Amino acid sequence: MTMQFSLKRIINSVYRDVTVLRGSIVTGLSIAAGILFIAFLLNLGFGDHSITAEDYAGTSGLLYVLFGVLFTFSIFKEVHDQKKNHLYLTLPISPVERVIAVWITTYILYTVAFTILGVLIGQMAIIFGSLFSKVNLHFISIFSEEYWKMITFYLFVQPVFFYGAIRFGKNRMGKTVLSLLLVFLGILFYNFLIYGMLNHDFDVFSGEQLASEAFNLAKKDFSITGRWLFMIILGPAMFLAGYFRMIEKEV
Amino acid sequence: MDFDNSKPIYLQIVDFFYENILKKRWNGDERIPSVREMAMMVEVNPNTAIRAFNYLQDLEVIYNKRGIGYFISPDGYDKVLEVKKREFMKETLPDVFKKMKLLNIEFKEVESSFENYKTDEDHEKK
Amino acid sequence: MITLNNLKFYFPKGKRVFDDVTLSFVAGNIYGLFGKNGEGKSTLMRIMSGLLFPKSGQCRVFDEDISKRTVSCLQNVFIVPEEFELNGLKITTYEQVNSVFYPKFSKDQFYELIAEFELSKDQKISTLSFGQKKKVLIAFGIATNTKLLLMDEPTNGLDIPSKSQFRKIMASVADEQRCIVISTHQVRDLHSLINHVVILNQCNIAFDYSLSKVSNHLWFGKPTQGPQESIIYAEPSFTGKSVLIREDREESEVDLELLFNAVLNNSDAINNVLKNTYHDHAV
Repeated sequence: MTMQFSLKRIINSVYRDVTVLRGSIVTGLSIAAGILFIAFLLNLGFGDHSITAEDYAGTSGLLYVLFGVLFTFSIFKEVHDQKKNHLYLTLPISPVERVIAVWITTYILYTVAFTILGVLIGQMAIIFGSLFSKVNLHFISIFSEEYWKMITFYLFVQPVFFYGAIRFGKNRMGKTVLSLLLVFLGILFYNFLIYGMLNHDFDVFSGEQLASEAFNLAKKDFSITGRWLFMIILGPAMFLAGYFRMIEKEV
Repeated sequence: MDFDNSKPIYLQIVDFFYENILKKRWNGDERIPSVREMAMMVEVNPNTAIRAFNYLQDLEVIYNKRGIGYFISPDGYDKVLEVKKREFMKETLPDVFKKMKLLNIEFKEVESSFENYKTDEDHEKK
Repeated sequence: MITLNNLKFYFPKGKRVFDDVTLSFVAGNIYGLFGKNGEGKSTLMRIMSGLLFPKSGQCRVFDEDISKRTVSCLQNVFIVPEEFELNGLKITTYEQVNSVFYPKFSKDQFYELIAEFELSKDQKISTLSFGQKKKVLIAFGIATNTKLLLMDEPTNGLDIPSKSQFRKIMASVADEQRCIVISTHQVRDLHSLINHVVILNQCNIAFDYSLSKVSNHLWFGKPTQGPQESIIYAEPSFTGKSVLIREDREESEVDLELLFNAVLNNSDAINNVLKNTYHDHAV
């Protein structure tokens, strides 16, 4: 009986996905490259005329997450395409392998590729800048605390979009973002209630303060302990949910 | 190969063999296409082709050399001639006779037509 | 062996497709799956390949429940759907990225078939016509050498010479190891290849017999004389072709279109004749 887990199959699956999406990947990276180039130039123009590691993370961070999410959605397009999914779903790859393969592609390979792109483009921007302005020629540096924070953030945020990409057939990004918003509103409301319930006796605050306090608390929940709690549980949970969704998908 | 709707396909394949043998395209101890090749040529399920081959083997018109293939029996021509002659006598002739009776055609008329036909054929061959 | 037991299936919108379907498929045969439009031929194939799950009952492919979609089970099945889109890769690239998942895939066979279909392996799939894309997929499906090969309306979209190519290829590929199931409307395209007929009608199996059994017991053609009782179904047309109990007549070829109409018209009568093996003629 063939094992349901084979590293070779996972690698083949990664290779297949990358080959099939070759076109979109090249387009996406080109667009990202263009935007990054402009962003780096602007960074060089205003400020200390150099790209520090912090600058790097700051400039590319948003694009990194955004394009990562877009990539995750496009890798699952085949699952939802009525005309392509028969062949996709009958490929002898187990759901576990598929999930792992997709994660390797959309997180590990993607991060490496994007970082390399960032380095190249950043360096080009520096060279370009040094030729035309008072920017000093220097090597771009990338590894900073900000960089690792960015990667970790994406590590925990990506599973949500991973699940959204599998779960929703149409208007996937919209529905995923909407779901996130609903979750945030839910937390907001929850804090509102709890805070209100616990403190209504003590004439501590007025009506307006209640709302802002709730908002602050929600933000805090989302930022420190909350972040870790939500992300560490949410991340794997989303992968698990995605896995089950794959098993159940009928066409 | 187009199929006549009434006769089973395997028998039509057999007829195809008969024709080739009688016309001496395939001679004794010559190798004939394999079951699979035949199935492909005729575009039929291999089981149907096998049926035709079995039928011919039972009549000893062809024989099988294990691992090599099928061959026409050395007396294949004679066997086919015998089968077709019998078929002619038992099936074709009665139909002709029936029509002859219906149309009041006498045997003598047919006999002379046949002699003419034979001499015409000989002239054409020369 | 593929077995479907007491399969029940309906779509969420409520349309019943199968009430209680029990079937089995054996290697070494080419099955023809027939039925009017919407009777569930494609649905059945999708259940047999694990794309849809039965509401009750099971479909076991080589003793595994195909709906579990285990790798070992999926490696034994390949489906060529009626409608599909392939990624716009070159034929060689398509083969490279997909064939690795099928352990018995034969590259030689694939490229031989591509050549027979008069395609060039460096062509980009996106530049091919639908019929040509179909040929690529058929070639791929055959080359996977899966034990079960499902084809949904394979000749749809193929021009006449291509249909002949298809038949030749099917004739050469059918063997004891493979079970091929073809669903089709185009009886004339495939009647010489099929050796077992399954007819779906009104959410159930109306007919499930091998053609050798059919030609043993039934006769197809214009009845000349004989008792009218032996006529099971008569075509209400100029040809007057009918389906009769064979009795002592010479074996006739099975007329699949006629059989299909006869079954839809009076499946009980036909099934009764075939269940009775008393007058079995020697093959």
